[in-house]
Amino acid sequence: MKRLAVGIVGVLFLSACASGGTTSTGTAPKSGGTLKMAIESELRTLDPVKSSQRVERQVYYNMYESLVTIDASLKIKPGLATSWQYTDPTTLQFTLRQGVKFHDGTPFNGDAVKFNIERALTTPSSPRKSELASVQSVEVKDASTVVFHLKKPDAALLAQLVDRAGMMLSPAAIAKGGADFGLNPLGAGTGPFQFVEWKRDDHLTLKKNPNYWVSGRPYLDQIIYRPITDSNAALAALRTGDIDVASTNAIADKDIASVKSDSSLVYKDTAGVGFGGFEVNSGSGVFADKAKRQAVAQALDRPQILQNVFFGVHVLSHGPIPPTSWAYDPSERLYGAADVAKAKAMATGFTFTMKTPNTPVSIQEATLIKDQLGKAGITMNIQVEEFGQVLTEAQAHHFDAALVAWSGRIDPDGNIYGWFHTGGGFNDGQYSNPQVDSLLEQARVAADQSTRKSLYGQAQKILVGDAAYIFIQHDPAQEITSSKVHNFSLIADSIDRFAEVWKG
Amino acid sequence: MLQYLVRRLALMVPVAFLVSLVVFSLVHLTPVDPATLILGEEHSPQAIAALRHELRLDRPLPEQYITWVTNALHGDLGRSVRTNQPVVQAITERLPATLELGIAALAWSILLAIPLGTIAALKRGSPIDVLATGFTVAGVSVPNFFIGILLILVLSVNFRLFPPGGYTSLADSIPDNLHRLVLPAITLGTVTTAINTRFTRSSMLEVLRQDYIRTARAKGASWRQVIVGHALKNALIPVVTVVGIQIGQILEGALVTETIFSWPGVGKLAIDSIFGRDYPIIQGIVLTLAFSFMLANLAVDLAYAWLNPRISYA
Repeated sequence: MKRLAVGIVGVLFLSACASGGTTSTGTAPKSGGTLKMAIESELRTLDPVKSSQRVERQVYYNMYESLVTIDASLKIKPGLATSWQYTDPTTLQFTLRQGVKFHDGTPFNGDAVKFNIERALTTPSSPRKSELASVQSVEVKDASTVVFHLKKPDAALLAQLVDRAGMMLSPAAIAKGGADFGLNPLGAGTGPFQFVEWKRDDHLTLKKNPNYWVSGRPYLDQIIYRPITDSNAALAALRTGDIDVASTNAIADKDIASVKSDSSLVYKDTAGVGFGGFEVNSGSGVFADKAKRQAVAQALDRPQILQNVFFGVHVLSHGPIPPTSWAYDPSERLYGAADVAKAKAMATGFTFTMKTPNTPVSIQEATLIKDQLGKAGITMNIQVEEFGQVLTEAQAHHFDAALVAWSGRIDPDGNIYGWFHTGGGFNDGQYSNPQVDSLLEQARVAADQSTRKSLYGQAQKILVGDAAYIFIQHDPAQEITSSKVHNFSLIADSIDRFAEVWKG
Repeated sequence: MLQYLVRRLALMVPVAFLVSLVVFSLVHLTPVDPATLILGEEHSPQAIAALRHELRLDRPLPEQYITWVTNALHGDLGRSVRTNQPVVQAITERLPATLELGIAALAWSILLAIPLGTIAALKRGSPIDVLATGFTVAGVSVPNFFIGILLILVLSVNFRLFPPGGYTSLADSIPDNLHRLVLPAITLGTVTTAINTRFTRSSMLEVLRQDYIRTARAKGASWRQVIVGHALKNALIPVVTVVGIQIGQILEGALVTETIFSWPGVGKLAIDSIFGRDYPIIQGIVLTLAFSFMLANLAVDLAYAWLNPRISYA
């Protein structure tokens, strides 16, 4: 046994002697080459209407395009539509880009827009249905003009159209693909890259679209996506050059420090659009008492959680609106620092149960929270369950508290309305405050961005004060690439877009 | 012999369905349903209900099982609830990768274990015996995920000798395929190599004490003839039994190994399907595994007869 121990120590010593990599510099973009990217899990479908996984968007955004898109400051900018205007609060008119063809050669036009929106609205189990709930009908005025008739004003609609709900796919390709379309969407997009093949659990290949409407783009010949679920394996593949890019989440937080210190790799991050922390059930049980929710919010030492559980990679959260959003108000700092005495004055001596997903990080987080709350005389029991089980019970309102986070949407409405409006689709905690409801409804119909910002600011102040959710962190959007990858644009929605990227 | 074969093959069908019934019940007993997992954070109650309906998960369980069995008897194992891919296609497109990995693991395990075990038995107490015994203890004790990560860390990340994972099909490039096969095959084969070495050693020691070995020696047969012709062949009978069982073990080990090395095989599919409650795929894999396990057992029984003429199934 001793001999074995010595052997293992020897091997560990060898492995500690890491070798350095190479760096390359260069400014002029270079065309050609294959970029290999690790994604944190396998995709389920390539059909945006059926998609419910964040990781699927990594591939979609390089293959499909939407009517509108966003820049790094999350501002809406033209995509397949060159311009748009509200002719009245419930009529939204788009002017379409001319001369764009799908990868299968069929033209992109008003009929395609109508087809795609109607498809999203009529597919029963489509998660897109609720995103487009305000759309009554789509009218094709002429080849370059389409009009969306709305049931009611919806200030968040344009932001919804940036994502999967607004992606334009070739009607001919969808018909041709039939039942297997989601597995083999040949020729369906208009984007910089087109679909080649998908060998599940192995790789998914896109190749350059030679007829892309932005001339001279893309630079890369090919993108190969590889699902690598094991974070250690993804890091090893990045270090050895087996992959060039790792998606946000593909590398564990504990390894980010070593990525940063590796000269052959590039690491950058920004606060993502989501929020994390835990749900509390305001509707029934121990947390129906607002004072108890507030005591929990007050007793938490968030910086300690960020440091010890998330290795300083995540950003402190003060509410559902992340720092990258135009609606973010840096002056709001409720429950900023842990204050045990203040928490005890609010409520103490009660017990609750935290539903905790069975991942090491979640369990670690729950353990630390339990310890922090214990100092304020609050007893927390940890109940570890499979993530799907936590979701099911949270949705059925069978919980006191549950570690469930939100990946976020680029418009503040997507982070607040469904979560905190009475009866909202994601309002597991049954939070209900007529004042918040009214502010959120006003913000939905207000056309002016500064009015909306002020309304969301007021709503956020109330719901954070009420401790409708215990906000802890905003997860980062990350750029994790080899130093050979250039011109990478880091956007808070953590989707890697490769039209402008080149490899040198 | 032929009658025996037919009877054994016919028995497989009811056994396979019994296994599938047990698995069906077990999987459905676990509280999470696939619709919740598919929708994940977009889990609004309306969307979950609509998806459950679309996937026919809102039907009573006995009805779901009977539908499945009826279709399965017609060769249709259904479609994945997560990807809508036909189950047969999902399994067959991943089977070559798993077979290749399994065969490579078993092959290196047998090729190393039998000579090593034999030599250890012949030179009992010598340094090589101590080394072999040490290896068997270590090989059995260290879990294969640890061996896999260690191999990646040392041979891939530090010495850059092998890629840390991924797969290239034989059709695309044979050298690259073999290059990527080395680490996962070692990882998967280590435990079985250790067990086989031990079995060969102890079985060989036992056989060497037998009268017929002494008789063969007394009749003047060469040492080489005695070992290879008499001893080894008899010593291998328990080893063959173990190897037969190991086919199951290899498939089980493939779950972990394929995940670590991003190897696109049935093991990885099984893991993802279990976590995603992809009932049709789980059922399909279990059926496939049950058949391969039974076929392997049959092959083992037939190999006995070949190794020892006193055993026959007439």
